[in-house]
Amino acid sequence: MSVALASRTTPRWTVGLGGLLLQRLFQAGLVAWMVGTLTFVLTRSLPGDMAYRIAAGRYGHDMVNTSAAESVRAELALDQPALTAYFGWLWDLVQFDLGRSLVSGEPVITELWHQLGHSLGLAAMAVLLSLLLGPPLGLIAGLKPNGWLDRVSEVAASVLRALPPFAVGLLLILIFSVSLGWLPAAGHGRTAHGVLPALTLALALAAISSRVARNAMADVSQSAYYAFSRTKGLNERLSFLRHGLRNAAVPVVAYLGVQFVYLIEGVVVVETLFAWPGIGHALVHAIVARDVPMIQGTALVMGLMFVALNTVVDLLCHWLDPRRRSA
Amino acid sequence: MSPYLLQAEGVTIRGEGVTIAPFSCSLEAGGRLTLLGETGSGKSLIAQAIMGTLPRGLAARGQLVIDGEDFDAADATSRRALWGHRLALLPQEPWHALDPTMRSVSQVAESHRHVAGRDRRAALQAAWADLAELGLAEAGGKLPGELSGGMAQRVAFAAASAGGAPIVIADEPTKGLDAPRRNAVVELLARTPEAGGALLTITHDIDVARRLGGEVVILRQGQVVERGPAQQVLAHPQSEYGQRLLDAEPSRWPRPQPLGERQAPVVSASGLAKSRGGRELFRNLSLEVSPGEIVGVVGPAGCGKSTLGDMLLGVMHADSGEIHRATGHPLGFQKLYQDPPAAFSAHWRLARLLDDLVHRHRLDRAAIAPLMARLGLDENLLGRRPGEISGGELQRFAILRVLLLEPCFLFADEPTSRLDPITQRQTLELLVELARERRCGVMLVSHDPALIERICDKRISLGGPASVTKQERDPAMA
Amino acid sequence: MKALASTPARRWTLPTLNGRQRLGALLLALLLAFAWLVPWLNEADPARQQLTRILQLPSLAEPLGTDHLGRSLLARLASAVQLSFGMALLSVASAAVPGVFFGVIAGWHGGWLDRVLGSLADACLALPGLLLVLLLVAIAPGNFWALYVGISLVLWIEYFRVVRARTRVLVASPQLEASRLLGFGPFYLFRRHLWPELAPQVLTLAAFGAASAILAMAALGFVSVGLRPPTAELGLMMIELLPYYHEAPWAMAQPIVVLFVLVLSLNLLAGRDPR
Repeated sequence: MSVALASRTTPRWTVGLGGLLLQRLFQAGLVAWMVGTLTFVLTRSLPGDMAYRIAAGRYGHDMVNTSAAESVRAELALDQPALTAYFGWLWDLVQFDLGRSLVSGEPVITELWHQLGHSLGLAAMAVLLSLLLGPPLGLIAGLKPNGWLDRVSEVAASVLRALPPFAVGLLLILIFSVSLGWLPAAGHGRTAHGVLPALTLALALAAISSRVARNAMADVSQSAYYAFSRTKGLNERLSFLRHGLRNAAVPVVAYLGVQFVYLIEGVVVVETLFAWPGIGHALVHAIVARDVPMIQGTALVMGLMFVALNTVVDLLCHWLDPRRRSA
Repeated sequence: MSPYLLQAEGVTIRGEGVTIAPFSCSLEAGGRLTLLGETGSGKSLIAQAIMGTLPRGLAARGQLVIDGEDFDAADATSRRALWGHRLALLPQEPWHALDPTMRSVSQVAESHRHVAGRDRRAALQAAWADLAELGLAEAGGKLPGELSGGMAQRVAFAAASAGGAPIVIADEPTKGLDAPRRNAVVELLARTPEAGGALLTITHDIDVARRLGGEVVILRQGQVVERGPAQQVLAHPQSEYGQRLLDAEPSRWPRPQPLGERQAPVVSASGLAKSRGGRELFRNLSLEVSPGEIVGVVGPAGCGKSTLGDMLLGVMHADSGEIHRATGHPLGFQKLYQDPPAAFSAHWRLARLLDDLVHRHRLDRAAIAPLMARLGLDENLLGRRPGEISGGELQRFAILRVLLLEPCFLFADEPTSRLDPITQRQTLELLVELARERRCGVMLVSHDPALIERICDKRISLGGPASVTKQERDPAMA
Repeated sequence: MKALASTPARRWTLPTLNGRQRLGALLLALLLAFAWLVPWLNEADPARQQLTRILQLPSLAEPLGTDHLGRSLLARLASAVQLSFGMALLSVASAAVPGVFFGVIAGWHGGWLDRVLGSLADACLALPGLLLVLLLVAIAPGNFWALYVGISLVLWIEYFRVVRARTRVLVASPQLEASRLLGFGPFYLFRRHLWPELAPQVLTLAAFGAASAILAMAALGFVSVGLRPPTAELGLMMIELLPYYHEAPWAMAQPIVVLFVLVLSLNLLAGRDPR
């Protein structure tokens, strides 16, 4: 939801499927380049003797000596001229050599691998929940625009859209963990731990998708082709199934691409709030600890996840809307 | 049992500023009834009241007998079960009435399957057979967006009539179609009464009403003005309005005054060629327009009529060929548009727009008042915005605006195709009169050959079999 | 020709708002009045700690109570709203101006210029917005300007895309062609044809953009990577007060309610989402 520097990625539909995938591939390259460049600037802008600080972080203050600092300096290429270092930095990135965490000393890839599993699990659960909540509600509301269900769901969506995910999460914690004691507030391990964070994200997503579905369905139900499907003799159920659902689904699915922005952004905040050991949590930690390789790794994976999800949306749209296949 | 397939008894419609006076009709097997009227005459609402599809806020009253069964018009849902089976509705604008994401054949097959109750395979076979019979065998696999208006109309016809309903209601079935397509649709509609059904057609097109025959009802502002057999009503109308409506047919318009002696052309072109999207529109086209001359352009949709005019105006470039425009008129080349509101910004009062023009070119304000009077434009209209006056008034305002610049050439791109017939006649008569008077050459595009035939000094027809055919006819010389 | 002889005086007419938008405007006005009137009437310092008076209930002296360091919540909330709204206004303005400008240029000119600007916007969009802001903030931690630049960098694209798409349609429209044939120049075309069509959409985007900016700042504060204490910032206040939820639920609720009303008022004011 709206921790939403809502940016919209609408690929141009005039190109075929191949071109579409190529565009997404290009976007993935762009993501890698931007993350690489920004994190490179970050290493160069860190105050003080970076190498000593990092070495201190890694080996403890007592253990820092010149040789430890030198090895860190070499590892981060802090001793090279900026341009050389920059290309070296990008070259490592291209080879997926993300280095080691400055905090734990573990290879970044290993850490990411663990975190990605947690984040994907959370995201999948959230999307699934939101799809169960939002679109069905929206479709029903859209069949009778301005009916009571439409109005109630509109108010609910407006309220949810005005509450950032961390506030929704806080409220859920206060209600379900602190007051009722039904669910654990933080941590992970059992399924129960995932319920509140997933619900937080799902509510945010459903607030939007229900309105998108409602508007799409309202447009469809007032369209000439929907009226014609009824007057030509199909009953209400068949009209809805054969002509309503698919046409309303096209904008809803297309909008999922936009929603994934909210999802990725929500993951950062919600994981931190619920201490969920995923990528978003790790990113925030890395920023606080100034763990540059981890910042790069987590940001990269989140950016690529975003591109991958959008590619799935592209494929879904392509499959749903025959107009795009014929174009 | 009543001998009639469709009977309406004192049907009235009320609500939201609409009142339709009691309307009655009876159609037996083989009967044809046509409701004729301008936009806002309420003709479509009567069809919707019979179907039970009136928009929210409108309520019908009265008695209906459909296929031997009695219905109360007030209970809109009571006819729901008849749809497709006994009562079929041919939609307006078939392009929009077909599901944009479903292939044509499936839209016909689903009627066979779910309305006529055939099984899946039989339904599909029947759908292909229907399409083949309508000359659409190759269109079955296409989406509506890939069909032409005429093809979409036939697909919609097949989808609506697959259920075998004996009563067909056609709401403006020829809207937006050019003359040959229009006649094809009329033939299609005539099949229903020929097969023993009943046909109720709603149209604004007198020619369609005449071709369909049967009974004609002329409506105006919700009132029946006149009714009777088509041959009689459409030849010798008794009412004053009926007479005016009939007089609005281009074939009855008076011929314009002769052009007189031709002067040096205001614009001339030679060897013009243009392709669009890999398709050649025309080649080696030559023409000239003299001051005061009206040159008509006809041809099917998409043949490049607007493109030709835009090239003469200099808005678009030709692929090859030469265009010469008369010198000394930097603002002398102007255009009138098909959809008057689209040619104005909706946000400003007309007075403001006129002021802008006067300021920009230091025009003489004294010229405005007489011209407005001449065009039948009331001063009060200037206080309104483009969306707040009628299409006819706005088109006349567009003519006013253009004439203030004293143009030597005016490209009129279907300027009256969105207007009602009576307004169309009035607008074009004024245009021709003023063009003659002010020695302004006009190129007039229309999809109605009869109209071009009547008022133009010369005709260019595009999109013929040999890419371009050009005929000249000059009544002034004849 | 009376109507013509006297040109109607140029009047600024307020855009007509529907009921929902009016409610939004009212809520926003109340909140802003609160934020600017409170410091004016009551000279409490949002940073002054009084460790003897922590987590006090609302009283006459402290109408909204005090926080865990004994700071006046009234003063802190007023200061936080000023900060959030000021930052939102600043980033919306610096996003809207180039966004609209480049959108009009790209949509009008088309061709290579359109492609270059379009690619630039696509590049800014490749990363989800908050991620880009996070990375910029990581470079300059706790810095207001890094936050502002990041948010503006993400927001301008929205204006650019909407304006470009609309301009492209309008430039090809009969109304523009007609005015051009009548001899009017680009400035006139923009003022009479483009701006009236674009303005409502730009205003809607501005309201949504302001809400997004406020939420982003609060989110970053909440996960402790945004502005640093002791700044009074809504997200930061929430995370600071969270541990004291049991002792002082009213204190915890205040920044949440204020953020909610602020964002709700902007969302209501925006009207229907043009996207």
